[in-house]
Amino acid sequence: MKHSFEVDGVDYQLWLSPCQQGYRLHLRDKVIAPVAFSYQGDGCGVLTIAGESEPVKFAIDGDVIHVHIRGRTRILHYRDPLRTLACADNEEDHLVARAPMPGVVVKTSVSPGQLVSAGAALMTIESMKLETVIRSPQDGVVDRIHFSEGESFERDAVLVMLSKEGR
Amino acid sequence: MRELPFETILIANRGEIAVRIIKTLRKLGLRSAIVYHDADARTQAIDMADTAIAISGDTPIAAYLDSAQIIAAARKAGAGALHPGYGFLSENAEFARAVIKAGIAFIGPAPESIELMGDKIRSRNFVQRNGFPVAPSAIEEDDRATFAFRARAIGAPLLVKPSAGGGGKGMRIVRDLDTLEDAIAQARSEGQRYFGDGRLYVERYVENPRHLEVQVLGDSFGNVVHLFERECSVQRRFQKIIEETPAPALSPGLRKRICETATGIARAANYRNAGTVEFIFSGGEFYFLEMNTRLQVEHPVTEMITGIDLVAQQIYVAAGRELGFSQSDIVSKGHAIEARLYAEAPERGYLPTTGKVLILQYPDGDGVRIDSGILQGQQITTVFDPMLAKIIVHSPTRIEAAMKAYRAMRDLVLLGCETNASFLARILADEAFLSGQVHTGYLEENPHIAAGNPASDLSAFLATAALMTRPVRESADAVPALHAALGSWRN
Repeated sequence: MKHSFEVDGVDYQLWLSPCQQGYRLHLRDKVIAPVAFSYQGDGCGVLTIAGESEPVKFAIDGDVIHVHIRGRTRILHYRDPLRTLACADNEEDHLVARAPMPGVVVKTSVSPGQLVSAGAALMTIESMKLETVIRSPQDGVVDRIHFSEGESFERDAVLVMLSKEGR
Repeated sequence: MRELPFETILIANRGEIAVRIIKTLRKLGLRSAIVYHDADARTQAIDMADTAIAISGDTPIAAYLDSAQIIAAARKAGAGALHPGYGFLSENAEFARAVIKAGIAFIGPAPESIELMGDKIRSRNFVQRNGFPVAPSAIEEDDRATFAFRARAIGAPLLVKPSAGGGGKGMRIVRDLDTLEDAIAQARSEGQRYFGDGRLYVERYVENPRHLEVQVLGDSFGNVVHLFERECSVQRRFQKIIEETPAPALSPGLRKRICETATGIARAANYRNAGTVEFIFSGGEFYFLEMNTRLQVEHPVTEMITGIDLVAQQIYVAAGRELGFSQSDIVSKGHAIEARLYAEAPERGYLPTTGKVLILQYPDGDGVRIDSGILQGQQITTVFDPMLAKIIVHSPTRIEAAMKAYRAMRDLVLLGCETNASFLARILADEAFLSGQVHTGYLEENPHIAAGNPASDLSAFLATAALMTRPVRESADAVPALHAALGSWRN
């Protein structure tokens, strides 16, 4: 069975198979063996990969794994195969304007029911003292504004939902 | 030496600078009191302070800008002096005046000096009148009706700036004069919201200059000294990322000249306490940019090469003491570099990041100093500035300092919130940086440094994640080894 991890917005499919000294790692274009991980407690471990040992620092937060190897940190999201299926995108008639970064709503420029054209300003957000205007990705009708002025949101949050025109 | 006239100092700030100030207060045997908004209740500064007093506001930032609450807290804590840190109310003359009126010593310059030198427009006029070099500019207040016209007359590229404030907030570069009006409107709105002041000015934007600044220190007896320069050319969106001293761009002659110019400006302004005179440097010439009438974020590099504790000096000056050294006593030794750890993703356009600090391990060793305000378990939010900590190193030479800083960035482990740590390491190992060939447009001209190499070591990360994830291991263990060896036959 293939498993999936998302790193920086990209999904990587992989699976492990047993081998004598640990596991084989099967990636899309290669097989690396052997791979093994030994825990050393307190967020530390040693990864053995193709004959080399690397000290690893890690922290696990639900399905999110934070890993530090060779001076670099990456965040890997484990995509549970069952849950991924249940969350299949069901929003084809809707357009959403998502938050490019976490921040606070400074001003909403539209109200529900309003017709907007592509590029129209929907909302002004502020993050780290920099204002950014969120614009409509396409022509449409404003369905719902998810955050009002002064409210804060995380990255990727749906800020404004629009329906395609003439639906 | 006579005793200090106060026992308790209120810190009107938060984060790493509050921690840094408390460390000096402890060293001097003084008590620390701090104000905090609930959003900061579980931070290191609150843990360390002898007294912590809650303040509130419509937003956390508003709380730290509420001078009435802060002065009331200082009184309640019995504070004889107040340290404003940087940002917030540190360059607000009205606040300084109110503090003094409450009978509390303000650890900073006289309110009049803040008004004169902390205001970008007044200070450049003052500096120009005193015969020091400034850049071509248009000031809105001179005549509001013709502001845009006069700005156009300078010619593109232009830099639109709020008159108040600093730290790059509200600044806009205008390369196409058709966008000037929009830039003015946005800069005004940002200036209004962050500094409560929508006044603007426009100056000629010098492409790719180097940013140099000189640390000055004055006392109440008219003594003014400099503590050498710092170079802060590695910037993103006008925010400094890496600072160092001595400046690699300066010859000994130029170094002497820029430091003496800064001292001259401070002396002309009858400046007291710690301040920084900022300059733009291009083509072997420098001109005055602005003066920061407070402690700077990057002050530790100066402390490293001079061995002088600037916060202690600020306190002594505020206590009415005369400087305990003269210019010739101040010696620059070795090279220091500071790298700012930010909660942001340079790989994604420097977008801010958030998360809970799950693991935090700072590098240590000889000549490595960490100024940090965060703790393991703390939530990083977008409420405040994204700076988490500063990693400062000191070595005999620049190249050794760069290598030490590089190793420190690689050894730093912060898990739970993405940071710019590996980006900082990439800069510190970059050829242009190592040869000292940087300017304020360096990162924009070299986008590969921010982008990094998304593929590097990816299999090691995927292997680690796979091996740690139980369902992945379980499905491997469930498959007989022989079948697995045949490959993905099930699919």
